[in-house]
Amino acid sequence: MVLQLHVWGPAFALPSIDAQCLAAIAYCSLALPKGSWELVASSDPSVSPTGELPALQNGAVWVSRFRSIVDYLRQYSKGAWDLDNQLDETSRADNIAFSSFIESRGQSLVDLYLYVTSQNYYGNTSPAYGNLLQWPNQWILPPKLHGAAKGRTEHLGLSSLDLQAMEDQRQRDHNAAVAAGKIPKNLIQRPRDTVSSFLGRTAQSNHFRIEALTGEFFEPLEAMLGKKAYLLAVDDGETPSSIDCVALGYLSLALVPDMSFPWLRDAMRAKAPLLSAYTERMRQRCFGDAPVEITHAFSPESAPVSPLTWRAPGRISVTAVGSTLLSTLADSTPFLREVRKNNALKKEAQSEDSGFSSTEKRAINAHAEASKKDMYVSIATVVGGIAVMVGYMMQVGLLPFSSGEEEEEEEAQETDFGGTDLSQLAAASRNL
Amino acid sequence: MPPKASEGPEQPSTASSFFTVPPPIKKLFDKFPLATYPANDLPQRSPSRRQGNQLFVFSDAAAARKGRPSFNPQCLKWQAYLKFVGIDFEVTPSNNHASPTGILPFLIPSQPIEVANAIPSHKLQKWAIEQVHCEEEQQLNLRFEVYASLLDSRVRNAWLYMLYLDAQNFDAVARRLYVDPATSNTLVRTTLALQLQQAARDELLKTSRYIDVAELESDAGNAFEALSALLGDDDHFFGRPNPGLFDASVFAYTHLILDESLGWKQNRLAQLLRGHPNLVQHREKLLRFFA
Repeated sequence: MVLQLHVWGPAFALPSIDAQCLAAIAYCSLALPKGSWELVASSDPSVSPTGELPALQNGAVWVSRFRSIVDYLRQYSKGAWDLDNQLDETSRADNIAFSSFIESRGQSLVDLYLYVTSQNYYGNTSPAYGNLLQWPNQWILPPKLHGAAKGRTEHLGLSSLDLQAMEDQRQRDHNAAVAAGKIPKNLIQRPRDTVSSFLGRTAQSNHFRIEALTGEFFEPLEAMLGKKAYLLAVDDGETPSSIDCVALGYLSLALVPDMSFPWLRDAMRAKAPLLSAYTERMRQRCFGDAPVEITHAFSPESAPVSPLTWRAPGRISVTAVGSTLLSTLADSTPFLREVRKNNALKKEAQSEDSGFSSTEKRAINAHAEASKKDMYVSIATVVGGIAVMVGYMMQVGLLPFSSGEEEEEEEAQETDFGGTDLSQLAAASRNL
Repeated sequence: MPPKASEGPEQPSTASSFFTVPPPIKKLFDKFPLATYPANDLPQRSPSRRQGNQLFVFSDAAAARKGRPSFNPQCLKWQAYLKFVGIDFEVTPSNNHASPTGILPFLIPSQPIEVANAIPSHKLQKWAIEQVHCEEEQQLNLRFEVYASLLDSRVRNAWLYMLYLDAQNFDAVARRLYVDPATSNTLVRTTLALQLQQAARDELLKTSRYIDVAELESDAGNAFEALSALLGDDDHFFGRPNPGLFDASVFAYTHLILDESLGWKQNRLAQLLRGHPNLVQHREKLLRFFA
């Protein structure tokens, strides 16, 4: 049985645009014998029942997320396909700690670099997604990923990399100044900022913060690597471990892409020369010498000889398109979104191969039920509130009972407008 | 002339119709203010009455008076750190709304007394170093930040799930600690509880598409394993003679996970933690600072 690794497709001369996928590809390329696995650039999380990429498919079994894939491969091969079996206790601890470190810090930096930095997102990342996604995903997924990345990096206080957020903020300040009456209206001149003057300013104000963030990330890794060939190699050992794959995933996204505003690549080259050389070395070993083109993924016969075996993803079916459109619609409807979130948790628990014990399953189901109840409570609160308000308005006389003649009368006045709308709304939400 | 004399009294009456208030309203306003009360005293717990440094944390009044550990990991971390480096302070129960940054803990130092010098949590370490000239531990070992990320991501995520999203624990622990002291109004309590749970869920869904409980727990188990290996047979992390910031960060979670008095209903993390006796001992030793 040939294992299939489903990933986000190639971009920026790398086999995938996503760090976790790159890590999984690197792991398979190092641990699995060639020919026992192939790479599918499906670029659509909905192919996997878990709704996430990277996902490893072995017949009917699907495993997603890097660490679960590593665990599954070890069990499936009975310990043969395991890069970490040589590690002693200290190295094992380092392995866990460094992968947590790289995943949490590296993810923020990659998010900032590829998505939050506006000129990189609109100039490079968004077009790259446009090339590798099929209709209608190319219109739906990139904004979702963009929003998610912004959400993940909000706490870092670097939203000034995001030109659009800056513009919004300036607009608000501007309006506030007008509202406060500080400036007479006819004297206000909208300052015309060119992109370059904008960049000059934001680059300066962000400089210290970025400097600190990149320093915190690269320095421990550079010190850990030292002159060694791999992060955890003890005495010139030639065996990489899973931490090298995780590192490659995040570091190659920092180093390789040719971005409009390459602050992360510059920082990495300046602060961590050894790490940059190591990333380049690892990349050639895992992904092959030639840069990966997007055509390799879709027509595998054109691909040069490399450690990666591609398999063209299946054409997207009409039902898949329909379900994508439907789920997008459902996700943007307020109450349905909550229902779907809870169901996602529940479905996972009930599926056969999820590995939960029966008590855990019961606990998760109980939780999903509880949050569903919570949601019903909030719906009931809203409906009740509206009903009380409508009742009050009727009692006070703002909203008369609409018997025939009164209606005509009211139609002349515009006050009835809001009233009927409200009562209709209340009736509609009662039907929910 | 006589007409003029008669105009004299008339003039003020016409003016009064424009410039004076109508009598009934005037009568009403003559009664105000009904009474003027003296200004309230400052609350008993206000800073000016106390002498020492004051740390504002999530806690309840009785526990705060005895200096018991806070029930919030972030607060407990800094509370423990200040104790370990030997700074005297009093604990004041508080909540997010009291903090200038919206985040607890924060500290109001005894000297100098100014209004605007509350120290937020991210500047506490710098302040402590200025006060007692302890070491900045991050600089001493490159593994500090790396292993700290285990606590900030993996252990924290598992903690968020266990405390807020596990329905039984939420009702038994979080509701009692965070929701009930805030108000006695049932409606507000329900909203607050929903908000807390939603915030925890959003935080977990930031990094993944769905919440995988088994993975959260196995990640936390791995994290404990790594921390246990890092501690080894030493008394404190990184072989230091005295406990420091890293010990405080670990203690903040291990203490609360192992604390039976919180009344956990489901405590998978404690089972995982008990598999590493050196971490349990580490917690017990540090707990003596609070005795």
